[in-house]
Parts: sequence; structure tokens; C-alpha cells
Amino acid sequence: METTLVETLPHVTWVGVLIKAILILAIISAIAGFGTFIERKVLAWMQRRQGPLHVGPYGLLQLAADGIKLFTKEDIVPQNANKFIFMVAPIITAATAFIALAAVPVFPDFTIPSWIPLLGDTFVPAIAADLNIGILFVLGMMAAGLYGPLLAGMSQANKWGIIGSARTAVQFLSYEVVTGLSILAPIMLVGSLSFVDFNSYQAGGITSWLIWQQPVAFVLFLIAGFAETNRTPFDLLEHEAEVVSGYATEYSGMRWGMFFIGEYANMITVSIIAAVVFLGGYSEGTLGLAILLKVAFFFFLMLWVRAAWPHVRPDQLMWLCWKVLMPIAVINVVITGIVMMV
Amino acid sequence: MSKVNIKIDGKEFAVNEGEYILNAARANDVFIPAICYLTRCSPTLACRICLVEADGKQVYACNAKVKEGMEITVDTPTILQERRAIMEVYDVNHPLQCGVCDKSGECELQNYTLALGVDSQSYRIPDTKRENKNWSSVLHYDAGLCIVCERCVTVCKDMIGDAALKTTKRGGEALDKEYKASMPKDAYAMWNKLQKSVIAPSNGTESTECSDCGECAAVCPVGALVSRDFQYTTNAWDLSRIPAVSAHSSDGFQIFYETKPASIEDREKKIFRVTNEWNYVSLDGAARFAYDFENRGVTKDPEAFDKAVAAFKQAKTVRFNSVITNEEALMLQRLKEQMGIKLYNPEVRKFQKFLGYYQDASGNSLYTTDTDTIMKQSDFVIAIGTAMRNDSPGLKYAFNNVQKMNKGAGLYFHPVGDTLIPTFGKSLLSFTHKVGLEEAALYLLLDLFADAMRLPEEVSAYIASFKSSETKTIKEKVMKSVTETVVDEETGESKEVTKKVPEMVTKEVSVERNGLVELLGGDAEKFEETFAKMMKKKESFSLMVGEDLYYHEKAENIAHLIALIEKCTTIDVVMTPPKSNALGVALICDLDDEAEGYTIGYNENGDFRLSALGEGDLDMPAMNQQEGTFTTMSKRVVPTNAALSYGGYELNDIVSVLIEGQRETIDWTPLLPTAKGYRAVAFDDLPNGYTNEGVENRGYLLEVESSEVAVPTIEKFDTSLVLEGEIVYRCNPARQFNDFTDKSHEIFEAFGLYASPAKAESLGEKVEIVFENGTLVVDVIVDPKIEGDITKLSDFKSAKDVYTLFGESRYKTVTMRKV
Amino acid sequence: MGLEQFKNRNVGTQNYKTLDVGVSPQTGMERFKQVAKRTVKGELFVGLGVVMKAMVKALFADDMHTVKYPFEKMPISPRYRAIHDMLRLLESGHYRCIGCGLCEKICISNCITMDTRYDENQRKEVSEYTINFGRCIFCGYCAEVCPELAIVHGQRYETASEQRASFSIFEDMLSPVDQLNLQQEYQGFGAVSPNADENIKQTPLAY
Repeated sequence: METTLVETLPHVTWVGVLIKAILILAIISAIAGFGTFIERKVLAWMQRRQGPLHVGPYGLLQLAADGIKLFTKEDIVPQNANKFIFMVAPIITAATAFIALAAVPVFPDFTIPSWIPLLGDTFVPAIAADLNIGILFVLGMMAAGLYGPLLAGMSQANKWGIIGSARTAVQFLSYEVVTGLSILAPIMLVGSLSFVDFNSYQAGGITSWLIWQQPVAFVLFLIAGFAETNRTPFDLLEHEAEVVSGYATEYSGMRWGMFFIGEYANMITVSIIAAVVFLGGYSEGTLGLAILLKVAFFFFLMLWVRAAWPHVRPDQLMWLCWKVLMPIAVINVVITGIVMMV
Repeated sequence: MSKVNIKIDGKEFAVNEGEYILNAARANDVFIPAICYLTRCSPTLACRICLVEADGKQVYACNAKVKEGMEITVDTPTILQERRAIMEVYDVNHPLQCGVCDKSGECELQNYTLALGVDSQSYRIPDTKRENKNWSSVLHYDAGLCIVCERCVTVCKDMIGDAALKTTKRGGEALDKEYKASMPKDAYAMWNKLQKSVIAPSNGTESTECSDCGECAAVCPVGALVSRDFQYTTNAWDLSRIPAVSAHSSDGFQIFYETKPASIEDREKKIFRVTNEWNYVSLDGAARFAYDFENRGVTKDPEAFDKAVAAFKQAKTVRFNSVITNEEALMLQRLKEQMGIKLYNPEVRKFQKFLGYYQDASGNSLYTTDTDTIMKQSDFVIAIGTAMRNDSPGLKYAFNNVQKMNKGAGLYFHPVGDTLIPTFGKSLLSFTHKVGLEEAALYLLLDLFADAMRLPEEVSAYIASFKSSETKTIKEKVMKSVTETVVDEETGESKEVTKKVPEMVTKEVSVERNGLVELLGGDAEKFEETFAKMMKKKESFSLMVGEDLYYHEKAENIAHLIALIEKCTTIDVVMTPPKSNALGVALICDLDDEAEGYTIGYNENGDFRLSALGEGDLDMPAMNQQEGTFTTMSKRVVPTNAALSYGGYELNDIVSVLIEGQRETIDWTPLLPTAKGYRAVAFDDLPNGYTNEGVENRGYLLEVESSEVAVPTIEKFDTSLVLEGEIVYRCNPARQFNDFTDKSHEIFEAFGLYASPAKAESLGEKVEIVFENGTLVVDVIVDPKIEGDITKLSDFKSAKDVYTLFGESRYKTVTMRKV
Repeated sequence: MGLEQFKNRNVGTQNYKTLDVGVSPQTGMERFKQVAKRTVKGELFVGLGVVMKAMVKALFADDMHTVKYPFEKMPISPRYRAIHDMLRLLESGHYRCIGCGLCEKICISNCITMDTRYDENQRKEVSEYTINFGRCIFCGYCAEVCPELAIVHGQRYETASEQRASFSIFEDMLSPVDQLNLQQEYQGFGAVSPNADENIKQTPLAY
């Protein structure tokens, strides 16, 4: 399918992309941090508690305090750890999470007002890198993110770490299948791998949202997304009650913080994908408020689920993936294909 | 002793004849409640709760003797009622301050109140204000707590001999008359007496002026009498009891050191008090109050230890005293055997020699009786050459107890007059003789008690030479009957009335005069009559021999005389070892007469000083810090245990370096010389207690061997040896024995010259005593119980070296100058 | 609500109701059916609903359970056994302790020690008193045994301190002589807390 949108838009310069990249990095990091605050608050409310309260108004500066704490904590590398890999692993997690965001429309495009010196009139695109295989790239990058926990767990010379990394491999690889298959059906419908095309496909209002055409794919994608982002009920990688802290057992300070940021960035990525692919994406008119609400809903859903539901066992997780979700996804693809043919 | 069979509550027991029911029951583990009774004292009948039914009649178990076939019921409903009423009466107005009371749960009042189930009070009377008083430097009396059981009075009179306490008027209100009808009889009688009396010093003053032995406080069933130092310092339950032996007098009293951490800051244990099994053993003031002489805070000082070892290697003499265990004495003896070091112990040497003379002359390896046997059996005691009040409290108690309990009689020979001893009993004769006439006293005994058949002829002849018969004109009062005619004033009749009117008659009688009695300062005229009275119904005779005789110039002859007395009379002999473990040292060590060359002093002066007093060149453990055995006056080897910890070196450590030692000091115990009567028994196997019957079961008795020897030859005595002039007697005040008693904070008797009040007045406050070989400036201290001009000079401070001043004797003629 | 049902400990005669837990699936088909049923039935969403309701109530109906601890404190039971208080006599202001030593004796962790002496007024005086809070297990025996109600458990449960000795000095435990009116008696082991009525709820036993 030909894209006509690109031609109507101003030219995307490298400055614009750079600005976008910096914005993404800054904002998503901040949001990830803020996400922890939100998570603590929401969980607290759902458990009739107050949550962070004393640092700053409503405890808002708690995340700054946490940040300072993480930055100033001693960086411990275990004696028998593979030092290099141990130190690199959190960077992989954080990096892949942010790289994935490069191909995701984070918020609408805009042009820097011309009165701002140097950067005036620079067009900042919605997507830093509008690849025409955006979805593939994002999924691929998230899959690559598996190396973070995997290497972290294996390098740290800790049995809980090993178990954590084994679980990582099993869980991420398995659910990669479900994610791919579930999102395949919408891709077939849209006929493109570009997020921009998905957005345009659903531009006709709520009724044109893909969720109505692909409800099964949506549910599957959501479930797989929980698993991919390592959220309750599928947070088996670092399930405290079973494996202390899984792959992150030996990490402290900012290295541990990078896993954290990576996890929250991934949550945002998944939320954005879900919003763009199934819930109509960002519409031009609402100044990006729509996409923000949609992303926020998915983010909230993740916290909500965490407050309400228990963990599953690893074997239940595998059973669910291979015996339930994967077959359904395949059937969904087949049915979609048949419908399209007919 | 023959046995009789009795039944108590249906159970049959064979008990000693003549025993009180209470003692018979106690000996057989049958419980009869009793508060006021003390085993070795006379029944007081103050508490009346020992009421039992014997053959259908109610009797007091402490006062009624067993009879063949007697059937005794301990509890009958009426008796239980009676006892409960008595306990209720005791609880009337008894202050409820059990929380702070020093009895802290050891209270007999509390025990019996609970045992008899007193849960309500039926009697009441207004309380009388009763004051707290300090009776002496050690005694505190809380009259409010006192239940007037009179145990203190009884023990002081019957055992201690001071008779310093009595009951006095309380000034309480009279009982409500209706109680007489409503109350059980005995309870009413008891209450009536209780309400009228309270305890006070018997001399009418506020202070007891006694020997401060503290036995009254020990026997007190409630918290009324306690030691002033102990009061309110701790609870009885916090104290651990360590059985030990009193380290001061040679009596070897069994004591319990009661220890607890000193304070919150100082968790090192400290002795808070000394207690005893007061039913079976009575302590003297030193045993009870001289307990904190430990060498505190000592750590191992290897440098000093090396110096000590070097000192021993170059030493020619070890000087020590009798404050030493058998084990340590044995170690020193081994040093002598293997290294040729001389052992010098002036305290014991004379005794050892005397014992040797006695052994040779009598064929007995040791003297024949002991204080316990004397108390149980003897009814006639003779004491020669011992200042009983000061030298040997055990002898004093026995001497007194015989007078009080066995209806006994006594003879006391001593140059220093004593006002206390004659008060022990009525048939007691006290001779204050001249110094040096001890032999005469022994001859007198031969005269009085010897079986004439067995006495060698020349001795009989010698004794007879003192006797003279003389006719004397005496005036006698004779009652004469006179018949008078009396006219009755009313009737005018005349009657013949026979009246008895005294009339003085002169009479000529022949009087046996005993020159020996005269020589000894007795009343020769009346002696015969008095002595005949004293001898009535007497069966068992004992002789107590003291330190004066060992230091006598003719000690050998005296020992022979004693051997002869034993041979020719039925008198048994006990000798007082001068101090602490003198008997043990005398038996174990071969002592030398002189010190020479480089001398090591063990708690004594010397070139190198081992000291448990904390001021020597190497610290040693004090007696309350070490284990070991003592040989007591009763010929018993008794164990003592360490009450307090000690961190330094012991003699055993030094001996182990010098010659072959043992791992622990107590490993020497089985090695004590069996030839001297000791047994090869391990320390840990030595028992240490009394049976319910009061039989001493502590350690073991020395084996005493006797062999037949020829009748000892004795010399005539020489009156030229009699000392005249200003005489000083080497004698410690009661409660002081050595540096250790002096170190104890509850012993207040000072070093000085003790004199009778009259003598003290003439001497002034301070005197300089000039001996042949030195002078000494001392304070003059009044001892109201001394009579006569002889003064007593203390020797307990080894630093003053009083032994050297006195040399070979215990009495010295000196010159005194007022200072 | 009566307490009879709690007092009846005779389990045998109680009227228990058994919960119908159904039958576990045996065959594959049954298992499939169970999964399908549970998936469709939406039990999971009930869970979501519950927590959402809780949140809404917490936020808008003031049903928040948080106690802002250092600023707010829960009323604690009078039976609570925290750092000991040594009480004074209200009339004279003299401390009540008579130095009987029962607390020292009964203390099962051996943490109470006292020194006593005979004082000028012929009374037993406690010259030193200390509790080693490093050892104290707050069993309450000392307060139980005290015949004078002199040692009681106070409400000072915040016992973090730089030194163990911080609480152990007699003077610190003694109620300040100028605040005798605030002195609290220890209600003892049977006492109910002041807010006991509010706290009474149906416990599972009552169902």
C-alpha cells in the first residue's frame, strides 16, 4: 500500500529526529519513574492504603528520593560474577526498551515555533524513525530485550539468578510466539507494518478501531504483553516468594535501576502498541490527548491486574501459552485469512 | 545407748532412751512442728505448737521423754485447733512487711502459718509500739517482728554461755477476758505470755556487751534479729550457699558462705553472710562475721610467679602459720623432703612438740575426746591452760553446755581471772592461780580423780605430801529446843510451848587441808565439801587442755602428767590446737625450731612474701577462695570449698614447677599421710553434713591408734618457776585470730593490751611494753570480763611479730611505761 | 453479640457447614470444560471489581486504613507490655518500690538487678535498680509479681535507641515527680483496650 501521508508532511530532518529521540528518552524515563510512583499509589489505594505521602506534596518527590538513592547506592559486583556481562546486562535491557520506542509513535508530530533560535521551524516527527516495518522492529527489539535478564541472571553466579534467567528464556521466547501470531491478524488487515498506516487505517473514529474486528487478537496480545513485560500475573522472572529476585538478585543501585526503567519503558511500549494497533492510535484533532488516555488506560490496567490477581505457576504459564493461547492465535490468523479471502 | 520402741502415727521406731519425743521424731524423719526448740539446748516451752498426744495425754514433744511402748499421735483435731490458734496469735499484729524482711521466705512464722492453713484471724489486741534497736556492733533487733520464741535467749544461755539476753516487759495491754473462755487453752496461755514480754539485753542496758557471735540472729525464726551489716542488703533466695569450714579457730565449725554478685556494677561474687546449721553447730563471732578476707581482684602475674619460683629455689626456710589447708601443708612438707627447705611455724611448733610428748607418754596417737562428745556425754569438765573465751569458742560452748544441759560440774584453772566462766553453772569452781602452777593443777586432778591403785607410789606419796590434817575450832549454829510457858492474853490460860532457838556452839573439828588447792588459790577449807557436792552423780569426765601448757617451760612433764591422768583416771582429754589448722600442720609437717637464711613468708614476715592478704610479693588465695581440707580439734578431716573466685597463682602452681605437683590442690587430699591417721579419700568423696539425729557426717575422723606403753614418769613441780610482777599474756580478743579476721569489716576488736577495768585505769590509755627483746607501744583496752592484774596482749597482727617478743612462752614478765 | 459460641469449645457438637468444593476434573474433556467455564464466567473480573471498589471507597469514601505512624498512633491495649514504668505513691511522691526483690527473682531472662540498703529512716532503700533491656523479653512477670504495683509495663514501645542502657536507669523509668497526675496504672493482664468495642468484629469462628 502506498503511503500518501509522508508526502504531505514537512521534510524530516536529522535535527528533528534527534530532538525526538532526546524527548523520548527524557520523557519516557521520567514517565517510567513516575510510573513507579503511580504504581505505588494505585496499589496502595486498591489496598486501602495511602502510598508514598511524605516526600513532597502527595509524596510526589518520592521518585526523586528513590532516584537519588539508586544513584548513590554502592555498585556491587559479586566476586564470582562474569564482571563484564554482569555490568552490560542492565544496559541491554534499558537500551532495547528505548530503541524499541524509536519506531513507536509516542505523541503527535509538531513543528518547533520559529521564534525559538536555532531550532525554529524544525519539524519533530511523531515517530523518531518511521520505519515501514515499525511493528516488526518493535517486536524484534523487545525480543532482543530478553538478553538483559538472561545474561544478568547467568552472569551473577547466584542460583536464584540462574533460575530467573532460565525462566526469562522460557517465558519470553514462548510468549514471543503469541505476540507475533496475535498481532499478525491486524497486520494482515492493515497490510502494513508501519504504525502510521495502522493509525491511518483506524482514523475513521471508534467504529473503525481494529479491536472490533480483532477482539481475540487484542486479548491475546494483551495477555502476551503482560508476559513480555514481566508483569503480574506473569512476573515469574523475579518472583520474590520463589526466587528472591530472580535475575536481579545480585544487582544494586543504578544497575538495578536500569532494569527497572527498562521494565517500565517496556510497559509503555506495549501500552502504546496496544493503543495504536487496536484502539485507533493517535488522532490528529485531540492534541495527542487520545493516545495519552489510551496508553494511560493500559498502564493502569497493568497495575489494576497486579492488585487483583495472583501469580501463576511456571507450568501453568507454559500450559497457557502453548496449549491455549498459541492455538487460538493460529486459529485467529486462519479465520482472518479466510474472511479476507472471502 | 539403749533403745526403746515407740509408735508415732502408727509407725514403729526404735529410738534412744531418754530422748525427747521431738528429737526422736526428727531423727526418724517424722515432722512435728516446733518453733522455740533448739536441739542442743533446754526446752523453752514458749511456742507450744509441738503439742502431741502421747498415750492419750497431750504433752509437749520438746519436753516429754520417750518411754517404751509409747504411742504418739502428731495431729489430732484438738491439737490442730490448738496449733492453728497459736499461729493465729503469732500473726496478731505481726507487721506485714514480708516484702522487705530479711528472712525473705526463710521465715518459720510464715512457713507454719501457711502449713497450718491460717487463712483468717480471730483474735485482736491493740498493738504496742516496739522500737528497733542496735544491741551491739553486729546485732539489730526489730522488736516489732519478734515473736518472743526465746530461741535467742536459750541459745545464748545454754550454748554460748554469755546469757546476754532475757525477756523483759513489753507493756502490752491485757488480753480481753472473753478470750480465756473462747480460746484453746495453750494458745491463750502462750498469748498471755507473749503479750507481756519482749527480748532485751540481760544486763539492763541497751547493749548486750557479749562476745558478738551472732548465734542469736542465726536461730531467730523471724526477721527480728539480723546482723546489722546484712540487713536489707539482699534476699536470701539470691544467695548461693557454699559449704565451708571456718578458717579462724581450730574448732573447724561447718559454715556456709552465702554469696551473690557484689552490686550492679561489680558482678564479681561477694560473701554477704555466713550461716550455719544452728541445730548442730554453733559459731563464734569470727566464724560468722570474719568472712570477707578474700584476696580480691587478683590476676596471674607471671613475673611475680617467676620471682617466687626463684625465691623458693634459693630459700632456706618457709615461715607460715596455721591458716593453711592440709593440702598446702603437705606441699610444704614435700618441699622440705625434696628440697631441704626448713619449715618454721612458731604458732604450731610448740603444740606439735607437746603432742609428741603426749604420744610418747600415753601411747595414743591423738587425744581421746572432742567437744561434740563432751557436749553429748560429759557431765564433769575441767579446763586447764586455756583462755576459753578467747582461744577456743568451741571449748567454751562445750564447757557451758555441759553445765546447762548435762547438769554438769566444772573446774576451770587459769591465771587470768574471768568473770564470765563462773556464771556458766552453779557447780563450777574457778581457780585463778599463779602463772607457772599448771602442773600443780594437774597434780590436783590426779589427787581428786585418780584411782589410787593405779597411781605410781611415788606420785601418791608426792601428792600426799601436800595434805595436812588440822584441828580447828569452828563456831556452829545449832538449833536448840527451848520450852516456855506462855500465858494466853484472852483466855488467861497458860500453855507450854516448845520453840527452837539458834545457839552458837564452839566445836573442834579435824579438817583435811589440801595444800594443792591452797597453792592454786582456792579455798582449801571449803574445797572438800564443795567438791563432794560437785561429784554427785557424775559419770563422765573430760579435761580440756589449752595453749598455755604447750608454751609452758615444762611442757614435757605436763604432757606426761596428762598421759598419767588419762591412765589413772576416767578423764578423757581434748587439746586445743592453737589456731585454725594447727592440728593438721602439726600432723603433716616436720617443723623446725628455728628459721635460718633466706626466708619465704607465707602470710607471715619473710624475705619473699606469699600473701593472701593482698600485700605480699605474690598473691595467694585466701581460705574462702580455695578448696581443701582442715583437721579440726575434733580430730576430723573436713572439706572446705571455694566461695569466691580467684584468678591468681596457688601454692600448687609453684610446687608443680619446683617438684612434681598435682593438677589441682585437692588432688593432694588422698595423699595426706596415712601414718598420721589420714585416709586416702578423694576430696570429692568427702561428705559434709549433719544427719537428722545431729550426727556429724563431715569428712572423716582421723584414725587414732593406741599402744600400751609404760606408765609415764613425771617430775615434781617447781614453785620457783612461778612468775611474779607485771605479767602479760599473749591472747587475742574474742573474734580475733589472725590477720584475716582483722581484715574483715565486721570484726571490730582492736589490736591492743586488754586489761581488767581496774588495771586499765592504772595503766592509762597507752603503754609501752618492754620485753627482753624489744618493746611495743599499744593501746590499753578495757575488757570488763577480765579480773586481776594480768593483761592480755593481742597477737593477731603478724606484722607486730608478737610471737618473737614472747619467745618460748605465753606469759612474760615485762615492764610497762605509760605513754 | 453473645460470647456463648466462642466459649463452647466442644467441637464435636458444633454445627459445621461443609463448603461445596465440587469435584476435580478427571478426563481431558472435563478439564477443558472447567477452563472454558472459568474463562467465560469472569471470576477474574470480579477480582478486578473488588480492588476497584476498594480504591474508590478509599479515595472518595475515606475508607483509608493507613495510620500515619509517627504522627498518628493507634491506641494500644492497656495490657501492652512495653518499657517498664516505675510508679510513685500519689500521696507522698516517694517511689513505690520497696526493694523486695520479687521481680529480680521471677525474671526469667535474669535481666533485673537491684542493690538495696538499710537507710537512715530504718527502711529498706533501693539504692540501684536496673533492667537490662538487651535481655528483657517483656514477659510481664515482674509487673505481675510486684506486690506494690510499683513496676508496671508502660506504653513506650518505641525502644530503638543508640544504647541499651537508654531505658534501664531507675530514674528514667520512674514517673516524673511533677507529672504524678499523668501516672497511669497498669490495668493488668485481663484489661480490655479503650477502643475494645470498636474492635469487636465477627471473626470466622462466628460464622
